[in-house]
This record gives sequence, C-alpha cells and structure tokens, in this order.
Amino acid sequence: MEGKKRWPYWSALKNLVLKDFRVRYRNMSLGILWSLINPLVMMGVLVFIFTVVYPNRGTQYFPIFVLIGLLSFNHFSLCLNSMTNSLVENTQILKKTNFPRFLLPVSVLISQSMHAIIQFALLLIFLVVFGVPWSVHALWYPLAFVVQFVFTLGVGLLCATLCVLFRDTLYLVQSLLTVLFWFSPVFYELSVVKRAPHNLYYAYLLNPLAGCIDTGRRAFLTHQPPDPVVFGMALASSLVFLVAGAAFFRRYHLQIADRL
Amino acid sequence: MTPSAPPDPGPADVIVRLEGVGKTFKVLHQTPFLMHSVLRSVFGRRHQEPLVALDDVSFEIRRGESVVFVGRNGAGKSTLLSLIVGTSIPTAGTVSVKGRIGALLELGAGFHTDLTGRENIFLNASLNGLSNDEIEERYDRIVAFSELADFMDVSVAKFSSGMFVRLAFAVAVHLDPEIMIVDEALAVGDQQFQKKCKRRVRELLDEGRSLLFVSHRAEEALQMCRRSIWLEKGRVMRDGPTAEVLAAYEADLESSPLPRRWRDTR
Repeated sequence: MEGKKRWPYWSALKNLVLKDFRVRYRNMSLGILWSLINPLVMMGVLVFIFTVVYPNRGTQYFPIFVLIGLLSFNHFSLCLNSMTNSLVENTQILKKTNFPRFLLPVSVLISQSMHAIIQFALLLIFLVVFGVPWSVHALWYPLAFVVQFVFTLGVGLLCATLCVLFRDTLYLVQSLLTVLFWFSPVFYELSVVKRAPHNLYYAYLLNPLAGCIDTGRRAFLTHQPPDPVVFGMALASSLVFLVAGAAFFRRYHLQIADRL
Repeated sequence: MTPSAPPDPGPADVIVRLEGVGKTFKVLHQTPFLMHSVLRSVFGRRHQEPLVALDDVSFEIRRGESVVFVGRNGAGKSTLLSLIVGTSIPTAGTVSVKGRIGALLELGAGFHTDLTGRENIFLNASLNGLSNDEIEERYDRIVAFSELADFMDVSVAKFSSGMFVRLAFAVAVHLDPEIMIVDEALAVGDQQFQKKCKRRVRELLDEGRSLLFVSHRAEEALQMCRRSIWLEKGRVMRDGPTAEVLAAYEADLESSPLPRRWRDTR
C-alpha cells in the first residue's frame, strides 16, 4: 500500500500540534474561549477610542474594520512569539532525540493558525450581525491568509534559529512586535499611508501584513479585488522572508542541540 | 582491526561506523548574549580555549554486537553517544549509522512536563519515527513494561525520577530499535526494574539488535557486553574484549586516581 511511502514524522507533527493545544488550555477554566476574548477586548478598546475619544468618521463598519486588522496582526504576533521560543523551550527533547528540527517551529505555527480559523468564525458572526453585504471578492481572503502564513513561516524560522544562537532574541522580537503594530494598518486605513512620500509608502508595504490586512478589508468591506501593487509587494516580500528564513534555519539546524 | 572482530567483516553488517571523528566545543563562559558578541566583534576576539571532547575516534560496530564504553567522567563517552544518536554533529570525520536507534541519553528522556504519561508516550515515540498506529499497537506493552498503568493520565510533572526512567526505558525498548543506546540510565531504577531492563535488553540482543552503553560498574559491563571501548581525554585508549579492556582501565585508575587532565595542570 501507500503506507511505505509515508513520511515517518507525520504522527510526530500531529502530536506536537495537539500538545501545543493541550498545554495552552489545560489549566485554564475558560479554555479555548480565550482565543476569542483577546481580540474582542482589543477591538472594544480600539473602537471606543476611535469612535468616542477620537472620532473617526471616514470608515464604514469600523469595528469590523479593526477586527480584520487585529486578527491578522494577532496571528502573526502570537505565532512569532511562540515560534521564536519553540526550539529553546524544548531543549531537553532536542538534546535527547534526533528528529527533523523544523517540526517544532512548524507545529507551533500550525496550532496557532488553527486558532486563527476559530477567530475567523468570530469575524463571520460580526459580518452577519452588522448586516454587511457579501460579494465574490470574499474569496480573496484565504489568499491573503496564505501570504501571511508564508511570511510568518519565514520570519518564525529565522527567529527560532536566532534565539538558539542568542537567547535575547525573544525580547528583541517582543519589542519589534510592538513597533510593528503601529507600522501595520490595524486601526487606520492603508490609504492614509499612501499620502506619505512615495518611497516611504513602498518601504511600508515591505511589511506583508499591510497587504494582507488591506486585502482582507477589500474582500469583506469594500468588495474589491486586492490592489495589485500592494498585494504583489506583500507576496514578494513574504517569499523573500521565507527563502531567507529557511536558508538560515538550514545553515544551523544540525547544530541546534549543541548550541542549546 | 579490532581484536574482538568476528570472523566475517562483511561491510553490510556494519551498522555504526566512525572515521577519524573529532568534536571540539568552543567554551563560552556565559550563554552567548547578543550584546557580548557585538562587543566581542567590535573590540576584538578574546582568546577562547577550545575544549576537545573527542579526537580522532574510529571504530565500527556490527549488527548484533554489544559494546560498553568505559572511562572517567569527561572522557567523551556521552558526547560520543550523542554523535551516534545524531543530536550532535562531529567537527571532524564522519559518523554513519544504519537503522533505527532507541536512545536513553542522560537521565530521563525528553518528556514534556505539562503532558500526561500517555501523551508523552505518543509524543516521544512519534518523535522517534513511529506512527500513531504503531504506537497504539504497542501502547499496552509499553505501559505494562513501565508498571505505571495507574499514572498514565497524570501529568509527568508529578513523576519521581525513577518513574521517569521507567517510562523512558519502556518507550525506548519498544521502538523496535536496531541499536539500543543507554547512557548510564540503567543505574537509576530500583533493583527489580534494573533486572527487567537487562532481561529485555538481552532479548533484543538475542534478536540480533545491537547495544551501546556506558557503565561504571564492572560486573554489569562484563555481563552485558563482550566488547569494550575505553575512552580517555577523547581518545580511544583500548578497544577489545571487555575483560581485557576493563583490566587495563582499572589498572590505570589505580596508578592515577585523579583525572589526568586535572593532574597535568598541577
């Protein structure tokens, strides 16, 4: 049968993803609800600030607008944090068992992406509650997610390896993520950035989250296909990050246990 | 080459081969922090004393052979085993291994303390290349061997160190390993469990599997292995029948009770 050709580490990958899920929620009374509460609270805060404290009149369906940005940024942020830590926190396992090292960061990415799918259900509920009309352009959203997945995989492999070489990478990543939050169109529109000088605007687009969030908003709120330049930059940048991250990981993956 | 070599040295029978293997560690006095390496690259490299853990080690191990490694603490035994397992790579020479390895490096196999015994069995065995179906099929035997049936749904954070070793050993011997690698782990379980482990290892040997292990106990070494390799300061001092190698090693211990490296520096 086909059984012979099967990759021997399928079960390991599956078990690692399951482990990640279990470990995260085992000792919490609210369990999986946490992955819904967090974006809801953030959304509430941002909506309060930009409708009451500092009114923003231009954007329709502002809560959903913010939610799309938050889901994307939160996914990236959670993935990157746990991927960066994934090799270091499994030192004992890495030193004692020989298995493909990429299983650890990749399993974390998969389990976090499963949360993203649960959170996506939240977005759908909001779209229905707010009575937002639908269009075929909604089909662009999965594509935006794929680009984000590629980007996250690349950066995650890079940071996981870097964290083995330098333990302070984790703190560096956490600081950079707060910076990146402001440099991603989470609570403002991408068109605001377009008013900046051209080369600054293109530098801004090198962050693929910008393209992904914008594509998501066009898909659900303004019913447009992605902007070719914005989406093209996001795709190209993601691929560069993936190649760089994978190459860096490959360079060091055999030395990981020695360097931990 | 080796005095204990069986009459037919067919290359197909060699399952572990080390050729001119060396392993050198750069000794850093602290964990490498980014700031340190930045400073070091700016203000020039301070002299680092490399630590030679293994130096020009060559030997072959054939299918069905059992070999015990002896030597003082820090002689390079554990480093050598981790090179064979593949968690570490040599800085010189080549290591080639054929077949699945069941390894117990240091004490307690890498278990995840947030998971239960059962979940750890599945995680650990699958990381060793077994599919969940294969693990399911062996699960009862693994649990029976470990004698920890009552603790399978308990987080291993609550396990004692003896229980850890039992679980680790139970998984390792049921991986269907062609090569069993045991680094002093046998010394931890209680008497009765040690006996059971040795019985199981002997069964594996009878089936034509190989055993590589580290021991500091002469009778254990003599019982389990016909061949022995004595390592000293990362080099092979002697490789041959266990009784001969042990006699030479013990004679050396008598004549210089302190580790040589230590003595040399005084």
